[in-house]
This record gives sequence, structure tokens and C-alpha cells, in this order.
Amino acid sequence: MSGTGARENIFPTRMALTNTKLRLKGAQTGHSLLAKKRDALTTRFRAILRKVDEAKRKMGRVMQLASISLAEVTYATGDISYLVQEQAKSASFKVKAKQENVSGVVLPAFEVDRVPGSDFNLTGLGRGGQQVLRSKEVYAKAVETLVELASLQTAFTILDEVIRATNRRVNAIEHVVIPRLENTIKYITSELDEMDREEFFRLKKVQGKKKRDADAAEAARRAAAEADSDVENIEIGGGGGDLLDSKDEDVIF
Amino acid sequence: MATTSFKDRNLLAVIGDEDTVTGLLLAGIGHVDKQKRNFLVVDSKVQASTIEDAFEEYTQRKDIAILLINQHLAEKIRPAMDNYQQAFPAVLEIPSKDHPYGDANPSKDSVLKRVQKLFGD
Amino acid sequence: MEALFYNVNTGFLEGIVRGYKAGLLTQGQYSNLTQCDTIEDFRTQLSSTDYGNFLANESLPIATSTIAERATQLLVDQFNYLKSNAVEPLNKFLEYVSYSYMIDNVILLITGTVHERDTHELLERCHPLGVFETLPALCVATNVEELYHTALVETPLAPYFRECLSANDLDDLNIEIIRNTLYKAYLEDFYSLCQEIGGPTFEIMSKVLSFEADRRTINITINSFGTDLTKEQRAKLFPTIGRLYPDGNNSLARADDVEQVRLACDYIPEYRSFFDTSSAAAAAQNSNRAGGGGGTESTSNLLGEFSFGGEQAQSIGELEDRFFVQEVHLNKQAFLQQFNYAVFYSYLRLKEQEIRTLTWIAECIAQNARDRIQDFITIF
Repeated sequence: MSGTGARENIFPTRMALTNTKLRLKGAQTGHSLLAKKRDALTTRFRAILRKVDEAKRKMGRVMQLASISLAEVTYATGDISYLVQEQAKSASFKVKAKQENVSGVVLPAFEVDRVPGSDFNLTGLGRGGQQVLRSKEVYAKAVETLVELASLQTAFTILDEVIRATNRRVNAIEHVVIPRLENTIKYITSELDEMDREEFFRLKKVQGKKKRDADAAEAARRAAAEADSDVENIEIGGGGGDLLDSKDEDVIF
Repeated sequence: MATTSFKDRNLLAVIGDEDTVTGLLLAGIGHVDKQKRNFLVVDSKVQASTIEDAFEEYTQRKDIAILLINQHLAEKIRPAMDNYQQAFPAVLEIPSKDHPYGDANPSKDSVLKRVQKLFGD
Repeated sequence: MEALFYNVNTGFLEGIVRGYKAGLLTQGQYSNLTQCDTIEDFRTQLSSTDYGNFLANESLPIATSTIAERATQLLVDQFNYLKSNAVEPLNKFLEYVSYSYMIDNVILLITGTVHERDTHELLERCHPLGVFETLPALCVATNVEELYHTALVETPLAPYFRECLSANDLDDLNIEIIRNTLYKAYLEDFYSLCQEIGGPTFEIMSKVLSFEADRRTINITINSFGTDLTKEQRAKLFPTIGRLYPDGNNSLARADDVEQVRLACDYIPEYRSFFDTSSAAAAAQNSNRAGGGGGTESTSNLLGEFSFGGEQAQSIGELEDRFFVQEVHLNKQAFLQQFNYAVFYSYLRLKEQEIRTLTWIAECIAQNARDRIQDFITIF
């Protein structure tokens, strides 16, 4: 209606104006808070990003070392893969999730939770048992790296999501909510001004009308008075009556 | 995500080639529960659909915290991987013995791709 | 006396096997192989050796397991050729040689059956040397009880099963205990077969088998530390042959740590040096392992110190290597004598070692682990 943008569908009253102004204030505070949150998250995100990148590369190397240690096992013992697959019973290498709070975002982090398992203790008993043992350790270390990386990556995914949401909100507030509230305020103000002017005009009109009415009443009254004085003049001898009685056009009082 | 949803998740799962799985099992991640395993060995005979089914199954399971998958296998089910947006379980692409991380390879990784995109700008 | 008839029956095959032996890779060829940057180079290098074009039909990239598989196939072909041309008693001797692989195969099937897997797939995983006609029959068994009886009827390993195990054992005991029980029975049986054959065959084979038995005894002892294997169980797995038997075996059965193992083996000079952890001795033992230290050092740097003490594991890891060196040494000696069957066994062992080495080199190339590529044992 006002042509400058969307505004809230609200009845332009002073009450509404006060409310809207309060809301604008709220939105601005919210905006600055969210922006701060976004900055904090982004800082964190950048740090994680770097770490993810590093860890991914490190993982490549660690896994390679682990494969070599498995090759050592194969060298000494032969193929043990099937035995290992069949003997797996219950996990001795687990993870525990814990939480970390970054600006109100709960980031899970995985922690290695290792219990000494006896699943493959006898593997390679006759030959290569030590290699198996070593390979177990190397792989356990490798998995620790993987777990670390998984935490980073989860944090990365969640943070990415949260930052996007926050960004959306910041942008929404900045580009939609605040302008709309401002528009609303502008609209209400202009409506109120308009109403003021209308009121003034109306008052003027009322005044004018009142005056006209008063004039008419006055004229009627005077006419009546003149008629009376004519009768009196005739009766008293006419003329020279009370000067004040006659209304002079030029005299206001 | 509710707080409880990841408290119960404490297993790792793996989809990989024989050597990768064997190694990780040696580390002790294997968990067999009522004939349900948390690992899948993929050799040349295994179809992509089987991998995808396993991927579905492991990502649906409530007790798995991290799913490890060989990169070259992830490549086979890339659409499913790219569609996967959940935080839990965390899906991690790992190199395998026969397909090590080269200098060019990390760019295939769906997460690394995003990392590099973000680094780029 | 047997030398007189040896050539009539076995002269041809001995010639063949000595010819095969001449085809084993040498130091120079190994060093060429270690220079390769890619598996493709590796293949080209190998094509100039006795391996010829065995990888020619493989599509790139070649997995290291494929190389091992193809090389083993060559060995199997050679072995089968020898076996089909052999007459008694060499035939029986070769039969016995393949028993050790059969044990592994049967163990594999037992594992599958215990866990109620489809054992037919497992046939592919069996070692080709240990495949015998009736092996697939074992797959028919759906439970352990059946398997046990089938094994008794169908396999050449029946006597070992009958003597050492009952059907219940298959279910209850750890698969590794079963394997080692069978292996112990096999070694003892093989030893007595050699005794029967006598002559230079026994002379050499007794050394080789004794060493094999001792190696197993020592390994079982060391590997059972920290596991739930009781000392009585452990003692039962020790073969009753070998130079450590009976005194060494007895003390090993009571050993609690590596130091006690060392003491138990101390009275045999060759074994004493195995436990010699000083670096000078290690260097003398296998000069070609020079690169090894550096490689593992960087490993432990990257992965942090192992919780159970990297140093000890390191020395034990070397122990295994020294066993290999010693085995190669003993097997090489077999070729110094004529008129014996031990050459066939020794050739098989040397060739196996060579395949392991090839796989290792290929692995190092594939994994780009240059610093570890020298960690193998050359035969000649």
C-alpha cells in the first residue's frame, strides 16, 4: 500500500506503533546476537576445517602403515582374514559419545572406549602370533585416528548445518524481518500523520461550520432584535436609540 | 537430535575390502549379535546393490556411531553417499590397501569436497 | 644301497627339482625388483625371470594378492607335476608334505561349520596345495558332529583327528588349539615317516623337522603369554620331536616370560643367537635387514608408542625373521646332498619363502613403503 515494501498487516494505532517499535528493537538485538554466534561458530568451523583436512591426509598414511603391518602378518602367518571374520564376537573397541558446547550448539565427540578383548588372542599361535599382536596394536592406533577424524567430521557436518541455519536466520532478520518492521513503523507513522492531518482538517471544518452556524444564529437574532427596535423606535419616536444596540459591521466587539 | 540418540551409539561398523575389514577386526571393532554383523566384506563379486543395502542397514541401526567405508566402495554408491546428510552415524571414507589416498584422490571424498569448496572461497 | 636305486626311481624328478631350484630368484634379481616404482615395472622385471609372463593376462592395477595367487599357482603346478611322476616312497613323502596345507584347509572348513556359514564358498579360499579329492565332501556336513565323522572317513588326516580330538573338542576348543594339536600330530607322524625312509633323507629331514617343531614350540610359548591358554594346554601342543624335546619343552611349558624362554633355549647354540637382542648380532644375522629399523621407527613415531612396549615386540618380531632365515638356511643345505627326498620338501619351502618375499616387495611398492622394502630374506 505504501509501495516501499512488505509490512505487517496491522491496524495503525499508537499502541501498535509502540509494539512494533519494541519488536524492531528486539529484532535488532537478536540480529547482533545471532551474528555474534555465527562468527563464533565460523571461527570454530574454520579450525575444524583445517583439522579435518589434516586428519584426512594423516589417515591416508596411517592406514597405509596399518596395511603394511597386515602384510607382515600375512608374510608370517598366511591368510587369516576368514578366521578373523568368523571369530569376531563382541566389540572390544567401542566409542563413547560426549558432548561439547560451542555457542549453544551441542557438538558430539567420540571417545575411544577400549576394553581388553580376547577375541583373537590365539590367532597365529603356532606362527606369527607376535605379528598379529603388533598388527592389532597398529590397527587400534589407526582406528583411534579414524575415530578422531569421525568426531571432527561429525562436528563439521553439524556445524555446517547450524551455521547455515544461523546464516539463514541472520539474513532473514536482516533482510526480511527488520525491513518489514521498519516498513510497518513507517506505515503506522504515516497513517498516524495522515490521521492527524485529517483530524486537523476535520476540526477546522467543524470550527468553520460552527462559526457559520453561530453567524446564522447571530443574524437571525439580530434580525429579530431589529424588528423589536423598529417597533420601539416607532413607539418612542424613532432614531437616536442605543448606539450599542446596533451592530456595526466594522466593529468586531 | 535428541540427547539420548547418540548415547547408545557405541559401535563402529565397516564396509570394506578383505584386508581393511580384517585389520579393523583385529583392532577389535567386530561385533556379532544374533548373526547380525557390523562389517561387510566386499570383494569383486559383491554387487553395488548389496553395498547399498548394507549402507542403508548400518545407517539405520541405532547402535552404530561411526560407519567406515572404503573410498573405492563409496564411489560405487556415490549417490547414496551424497544424499546422506545425517550426523549420526558419522560416515567416514577411508582409503584401502589397493586404493590408497593419492594426491588427487581426496577430492573424491564427499566431505573433503565440501572442505575444499569452503577453503576455496 | 638306496643310492643305487635312487636314480632309477627318482633321478629324473630330482633333476627337475634341482632345475626348479636354479630358477629361484637371486640377490641381484631381488635388488632389481626393489628398484621398481610401480607394480607394472615389477611385472616387467619378473618376466625376465623364471616366472615369465605369469602376470601377463592380469588387468591393471594388479593387486598384491593376485601376484601371490598366481605365483602360488605356478608352485602348485610344479608340485603336482612332481607328485604325479613320483613313485613310492617319494609319492608318500610328497603326500605328507601337502598334509600341512590340508590341516589349514580343514581348519578353515571347521571354522566355517562352527559358525554355520556356507562352507562351499570356503573351498576357494583353501590353499591349493592342500586340496584333496574328498575335501568338498566336508562341505556337506552341516554341524560339527557330522564334520568330525566325515573328516574321520574322508580325509587323509583321519589318524590325527582320531588320536587327538573328539567331536566335542571341535565345538569347544579354540580353533587355533585344534590347528596346533593337529599340526603337532602331523609333525610327529612326518618325522616317523622320514625315519622309516631313513638314509640321507632322514638325516636332513630330521634337522628341518626338528627345527620346525622347535620353532612352533617357542612360538606357541611366546604367543600364549597373556592369553587364557593354560600351561597344561600349552604343553600339550608341543611336538614331541625337535632338539628342545624333552628338557627344553618342559622348561618352556613352565615359562612365564620371554626371558625364561631364552634360558630354556640357551643350551642349543643356534637358538641362543635368536634371542640375542644386541644390534651387532642382529646385523650379523641378517645384513639385508638394514632398512628395517628405520621403517619401524617412523611407524612408531607416527602411531605413538605401543602400549605394551614397542621394543619388546620389535625384538620378538625379529625373532620370527630369524626363524625364517634359519629355515632357509636349513633348506638350502638339503641341496648339498644327493640321493634324498628332502630336496623336494626344501624346494617347496624355499619357493614359498620366495613367494612371500615377492608379495612383500609388491606390497611395499603398492603401499609406497620404500623404507621397508628391504625387509625380506634372500635365498641365494
